[in-house]
Amino acid sequence: MKVVVLGGGSWGTVLAHLVSQNVEEVRIWVTKEDQARAINSTRVNSRYHPELLLNHNTHAYCSLEKIFEGSVAGVIWALPSSVCREQAKVLARYFKGDEILIHATKGVEEGSLKRVSEVLREEIPCPRIGVLSGPNLAHEVARAEPAATVIASYYQEVIDAGQSFLSTEKFRVYGARDVVGVEWAGALKNILAIAAGALDAMCLGWNSRAMLITRGLAEMVRFGVKMGAESSTFLGLAGVGDLLATCSSPLSRNYRVGYGLAQGKKLQVILGELKSTAEGVKTTKHVWEFARTQEIYMPITEGVYSLLYQGHAVGEVLSALMRKPPIKVEI
Amino acid sequence: MNISSHSPLTQFESIRAPILSDVVSQTKKDISESSLELLLSEALYSERFRLKRNRPGFFTQKRYKNDKKIWSQVQTGLILSASSVDRQGLLDQVLNHYAEEIGGHFDPTIYKVATYMVPWFFNWILNAASVQRFLPWGMTESLQSKLHILGEIKALQKLSKKGTILLVPTHQSNIDSVLIGYVIYLMSLPPFAYGAGLNLFSNPLLSFFMSRLGSYTVDRQKTNLIYKHILKNYSTRILEEGVHSIFFPGGGRSRSGAIETKLKLGLLGTGLQAQITNLQKKKPNPHIYVVPMVTSYHFVLEASSLIEDYLAESGKHRFIITDDESWQSLKVISFFWKLFSSQSTITMRVGKPLDIFGNFVDEEGHSIGPNQTSIDPVKWLTTRGVLQSEPQRDQEYVRELGLKLVERFHCENTVLSSHLVAFVLFETLRKQYPDLDLYRLLRITLSQRSVPLDKFLKNAEIYFQKLVLASENRKLYLSSELQTSQVQSWVDDGIKNLGLLHDVAVVRAQEGVIWTEDMNLLYYYRNRLSRYGL
Repeated sequence: MKVVVLGGGSWGTVLAHLVSQNVEEVRIWVTKEDQARAINSTRVNSRYHPELLLNHNTHAYCSLEKIFEGSVAGVIWALPSSVCREQAKVLARYFKGDEILIHATKGVEEGSLKRVSEVLREEIPCPRIGVLSGPNLAHEVARAEPAATVIASYYQEVIDAGQSFLSTEKFRVYGARDVVGVEWAGALKNILAIAAGALDAMCLGWNSRAMLITRGLAEMVRFGVKMGAESSTFLGLAGVGDLLATCSSPLSRNYRVGYGLAQGKKLQVILGELKSTAEGVKTTKHVWEFARTQEIYMPITEGVYSLLYQGHAVGEVLSALMRKPPIKVEI
Repeated sequence: MNISSHSPLTQFESIRAPILSDVVSQTKKDISESSLELLLSEALYSERFRLKRNRPGFFTQKRYKNDKKIWSQVQTGLILSASSVDRQGLLDQVLNHYAEEIGGHFDPTIYKVATYMVPWFFNWILNAASVQRFLPWGMTESLQSKLHILGEIKALQKLSKKGTILLVPTHQSNIDSVLIGYVIYLMSLPPFAYGAGLNLFSNPLLSFFMSRLGSYTVDRQKTNLIYKHILKNYSTRILEEGVHSIFFPGGGRSRSGAIETKLKLGLLGTGLQAQITNLQKKKPNPHIYVVPMVTSYHFVLEASSLIEDYLAESGKHRFIITDDESWQSLKVISFFWKLFSSQSTITMRVGKPLDIFGNFVDEEGHSIGPNQTSIDPVKWLTTRGVLQSEPQRDQEYVRELGLKLVERFHCENTVLSSHLVAFVLFETLRKQYPDLDLYRLLRITLSQRSVPLDKFLKNAEIYFQKLVLASENRKLYLSSELQTSQVQSWVDDGIKNLGLLHDVAVVRAQEGVIWTEDMNLLYYYRNRLSRYGL
């Protein structure tokens, strides 16, 4: 049985390593020939995980013909959300239709606010699609520390296959049917990660952080339900689980954006330093614009928006939030 | 027309018995897991209710007595101890009874006679009614001239030879089935099987023709599991046999007047099942093609009862109006008379054909995926390396097909001038009374239901532009009357056509004022354009 992993980034590499423990062959698609060569000769993806030794059944290629040669049981999609549609159009013709396609991309399409699985379904002739999401900081999973994730799909087959591809002794895979909820939770928590970074930079304590996370979660639920999600999904790994991990990890890119802003750095400077995209920056803009037209109450998102795009200082935003009229009933 | 060459329906009588026995044995297999006693008592319970609710009419007495006899036998059988009664035998009796009731007949001779008679009858009434009947040079009108049949006719004709067609029309009126049957004939297609409501079979003349023209019987009042299984298996079986079929996926006629948004997935699922079986058996023409069809009427015969039913709270559980105006012969004749004596037309659009998953197919019958990819249905039906049914997966495929059909119904809809006039007037009134909810708005008095004509025309222009934009984006079609920049001209056309059938004027314009005499009907016709986000 052969599984293809599209994307040799940090998370893609770790996912490939997990899958390689369960199937005969794993092929990682990378964009550069020399990167493929380096991975194949050293068994290490030195750019992201220099300490992770890949298994012998894992190979990297940059040719799509080679990647999809023969029968492919599963495809793991680990490409950034910003190139999702564009890449899907290119990849469409390689799919035969019986593959299990699982994406691990957090984020939504700019403008249309379509979820990644919606974009993939529109562009790729492969109906059996799922999403993987959860509190999964790539480096911790790479070190084989115990962790869990969720695969959501309308198709039980996809959940079953995903569990057999990815489960290991240190990695638990749960199943879910609420695709909308899992995908939106993964995108929305990035907004709160920015806020968490900003709070931490101000050296505030646990009370403030707990307030942020709890009230932020309420905003996520409000928005998610409006988009068709089930509220209970937000209590699971993909919701509060991912939110806790992201808001507590100084490694998270979105967290670092917030942290930098609170230190008075300019957004462009921070993004330049990160060298990779922080999904939350764009998500904040799209979600806030949509929430405003749909009249969804999201004060924290509004605050992050003003932090990112209106040049407000963190202290200003925080005190504006604290001065909001009290809510009579919490939930 | 030679119909015998490519329709299994023409030989239906010879295969009818084995088909019914297959249906019975498949159903036995389907329900073998459940408790026999539970199934029978559940069926008995709902059937007794049905028999109590529906008293027999003059023509239905025999059927009623027969039903009663069978169910009292079941009752006796269930009361006695299991050892003294053959319960399996009871079940067999029920299964055979249902299968026999559902199973249609086909008589090629009657079909020939009907296809000759129906147009003849239509042409006769048409020419009798037509204002142009004194035209010189023996010019005659024909039903064809009253029907605008648009869309993918050629593709449908081609595909009907390459696989089995599942025609899925929108449903507004009981006239639909007659018209669709006739349109199928006009397009030189072989006869289609069609599930007709049992109530239509109570009229002996209608019953005679219907049961011999390929229609099978569906009794939506029978809600028990055994019946549902038999019905599904029958539908699957005849599709597998290659019999083109018609399903109204909305279930019944649209109550609100709107295009269907919720579909009955049960019958749609039989198409997928037939597709899987055909592929497993490696049949030469295994594919089932789903072809949507949208009919646009300027006026709907039974509009008043439908919208009342929709508005009434009780409408939610009263699904079948057994006696509405649509089958009162005088009303039907009057419908056609008015249709023919006016300049009015009915527009029917054959939609782009889809495969059983909702992908578009080309004229050769190949499924086309996104980005010009080709799709092999076998791959989509392969699970864990084997081509097989997989109930959870298949349920999801059918749900996706349902969503796609709703989208296609809206895209294939031809908007008529009358729909737009009704929409504009209703929305203008709604804005005039912003504080009223729908039900209170529908109850405003006659004197309140008017709008200054210039205000109406201004709004008409705005909505019209939105529709033009939507049609450019392929979200709908505009009828030929709407292909104009002259607002006044389509408004006049719409007003003229919308008021045609009903005793009251749905829309009237006079001396700078436009008003409606019936809010419910206005709402009904307005609803054809709901869900376009106008």
